[in-house]
Amino acid sequence: MSLKKEYDVIVIGAGPSGVSAAIKCSKKSLKVLIIDSNENSGGQIYRAPPKSYVKKKEKSLKENLIQIKFSEELKKNNIDTAYNHTVWQVSPGYKIDAFSEEGTIQWKTKNLIVATGTYEKIIPFEGWTTPGVIGLAACTVMLKSHQTLPGERIILAGNGPLLILVAYYVVKFGGKIEAIIDTSKKSHWLKSIFSLVLSPQNFIQGITWMLKIIFSRIPIYSNSMVTKVTNEKNGISVEIKNIENKKLKKISTEVLAVGHGLTPSTDITRLLRVDHVYNELKGGWIAKIDKYFRSSAKGLYITGDGAGISGAVAAHDKGKLTAYAILFDENIIDEKEFKQETIQILRKLNRYEIFAKGIANLNSTPKELINNIDENTILCRCEDITKKEIIHAIKKGAKNLNQIKSWTRFGMGPCQGRTCQYSVARVAADELDCKIEELGYLTGRSPIRPFPLDKAIGDFDYDEITKVEAAPL
Amino acid sequence: MDNFDIAIIGGGINGSSTALNLAKNGLKVCVIDKGSICRGASGVNAGTLTMHMTRAKLIPYAKKGWELWMNTEKWLSTEIDVKQKKGLCLAFTEEEEKLLNERSKIRKEYGADIKIVSKTEALKIDPNINSKIKCAAYCEMDGHVSANQTGYVFSKALRANNVDIIENFEVSEVSSRNNIYEIISNKGEKINASKIVVAAGVHLGKILKLLNININIKCFPQQLIVTERMPELMRTVVTVANGKLSLKQFESGTVLIGGGWPGIGNIDNDYTETKPENLIGNMRLACHAIPNLKNSRVSRVWLGLEAETDDAMPVIGELPNLKNAYVIGSIHSGYTSGPYLGLLLSEKILGKETDLSLFDIKRLIL
Repeated sequence: MSLKKEYDVIVIGAGPSGVSAAIKCSKKSLKVLIIDSNENSGGQIYRAPPKSYVKKKEKSLKENLIQIKFSEELKKNNIDTAYNHTVWQVSPGYKIDAFSEEGTIQWKTKNLIVATGTYEKIIPFEGWTTPGVIGLAACTVMLKSHQTLPGERIILAGNGPLLILVAYYVVKFGGKIEAIIDTSKKSHWLKSIFSLVLSPQNFIQGITWMLKIIFSRIPIYSNSMVTKVTNEKNGISVEIKNIENKKLKKISTEVLAVGHGLTPSTDITRLLRVDHVYNELKGGWIAKIDKYFRSSAKGLYITGDGAGISGAVAAHDKGKLTAYAILFDENIIDEKEFKQETIQILRKLNRYEIFAKGIANLNSTPKELINNIDENTILCRCEDITKKEIIHAIKKGAKNLNQIKSWTRFGMGPCQGRTCQYSVARVAADELDCKIEELGYLTGRSPIRPFPLDKAIGDFDYDEITKVEAAPL
Repeated sequence: MDNFDIAIIGGGINGSSTALNLAKNGLKVCVIDKGSICRGASGVNAGTLTMHMTRAKLIPYAKKGWELWMNTEKWLSTEIDVKQKKGLCLAFTEEEEKLLNERSKIRKEYGADIKIVSKTEALKIDPNINSKIKCAAYCEMDGHVSANQTGYVFSKALRANNVDIIENFEVSEVSSRNNIYEIISNKGEKINASKIVVAAGVHLGKILKLLNININIKCFPQQLIVTERMPELMRTVVTVANGKLSLKQFESGTVLIGGGWPGIGNIDNDYTETKPENLIGNMRLACHAIPNLKNSRVSRVWLGLEAETDDAMPVIGELPNLKNAYVIGSIHSGYTSGPYLGLLLSEKILGKETDLSLFDIKRLIL
């Protein structure tokens, strides 16, 4: 397929919100391109198995079937797709620069939809960088996309609905769960089923998951958290603590999958310098949007979980609503049609909000997890910056996240603060006794993802690059 | 608020160096910044301490600045990473060879200890450079500083010398009454001082205008590129004949690529935006100089705003028609020379014999 240089609409991210927005726009004859760094559409939730991967037929997952439907729909609606393309730069106007195995490419568009979803949040603890400790979301990628267990004996820990989902998959694929360590209280479990299923027709499924976990007799430690991980022969030792009675316990395992919820991805919107707001319940910093997902910049729309976490089912409707906003802003539909088409979706999204709040509460990070961070624990694992170094910078006068970054180098490595920004901000806010939002957020910088130099430079002629004016003497 | 002996408007390398020496001489000093201290060009520049890219006329000052950087423990801090390295300036074509010879000769006349070396000699100094070079200029006086640490070490040193650091104070008015300057922020906060130093970097023109002095300040939005940590890729600070590349590897393993390939920037709101085609040009030149660099990944690109006057030479000294008012700024390769020029200005303010005639602002007043 040959791609054009310019499109009416470009969607970054081929998860549920991006795909549904792309389809809606395309149905009204807009020229649409959807870009994703993965091999196929589906996003994280409906992740496609890699093309080179030979799948075991008997374990075909519902997620994989939805993904296949996505692919068919995109094709049917003549939507151009650029998979295996990583966006590294977005500039106003809107110009999108991406790289792939073939090199670099730039597209232009009048309307840009950012549907880049979320990334996972892990609150550090002693030993969290030990081999054998992985993220809960990383664990779902292995399970859903590769149908592979990260190890034979697994401890699942953290909070949020992902915990139950991962537990279900591990059991389904024959893994042994040594324990589930849940930060939430037992009474929160029922809520998490609701938030997971989001719609009544999936309620039964939620119950099935729960029952499967309960009947497999996995020890569940509620109101507990991981405090320390140490290496031991044939695996790791995980120390857990009951938040209420402070009792400690050690469990041996091969793998610990831990996660404390999700953070909306704001790499692109921060780079474009649009307004952002802080909303702890929606996952932290998010681009400021109206109810139709318009950002503070003309032609820029943010949708899906990246516009505030509310889950995959809601993401589908968020995408649709975003598409209608574009169609209206482009004068393709009139106000009457716009109102008519969006009123039902808005109502539905409002209903989701109730569930979304349930997710949000499970997603929020309890103070105990932050208090547990020892001063010698690494917060920024790219640059090996400990809590002690962050506190030291603050004691010496650093007052905001960018200043702390500059003084300590936290957030300067390959992940650009995606992993550590939240926990550094929590630690800093405690130290400065201020609200997280007062600390600001890290200035958006390209490349959005680490950019291989050989791809960037391509083939070139030396005489071409030196046609620049010499610096004055 | 108390009356300060001197208020420095702009907490970059120039203002902070001036302030530090004045405070060490017993003056009651404050440093005012519209954002955070050394978070403008002073905190985000490439930190290259090279003679190969310095304006010929500024070489004597850059040499003094270089000495200060190599001895930071004596006047600033032990906590900033400064590394002396050999500097190689490369020529790949006959035309560049000619340019390199010409430029190195002039820089040498101004005191830089630069010599032209053959390809074989250059490859012995740093085997990682592209063997397609014609020749190179070599200078022992080179190296780099981790510029991101500037704000940390200066705020610590200034505070230790009882300097008041006043951040997030955007100056909107400066007036003078009974030999006292009153500096007012856009939020209405006031600071009084007997003397003032304007050291506002790219905002120099704007602040001088408040004092009815009009000069042109051009702004260059400079782009910088940094890679992930890599094993040894180079041993020297590498530049090229036309001055469009600065390249070095820090101790952590990251490689910093610069050279003045501009991005987009707006001086009024400090907005910056990268220009992908210039980034790619800069990366190509870097990979041409150090071929193995192409196996690394870029982890971050950022921009800083550099200021320049009409004749590309600094403004340092007294402000005309005003009493007890001084200026320092627009120093090319300012990060290298800044500490020394700040020291010179502070000596002038303290009444010592100092020749700053080369940098007199009067030549530029519109």
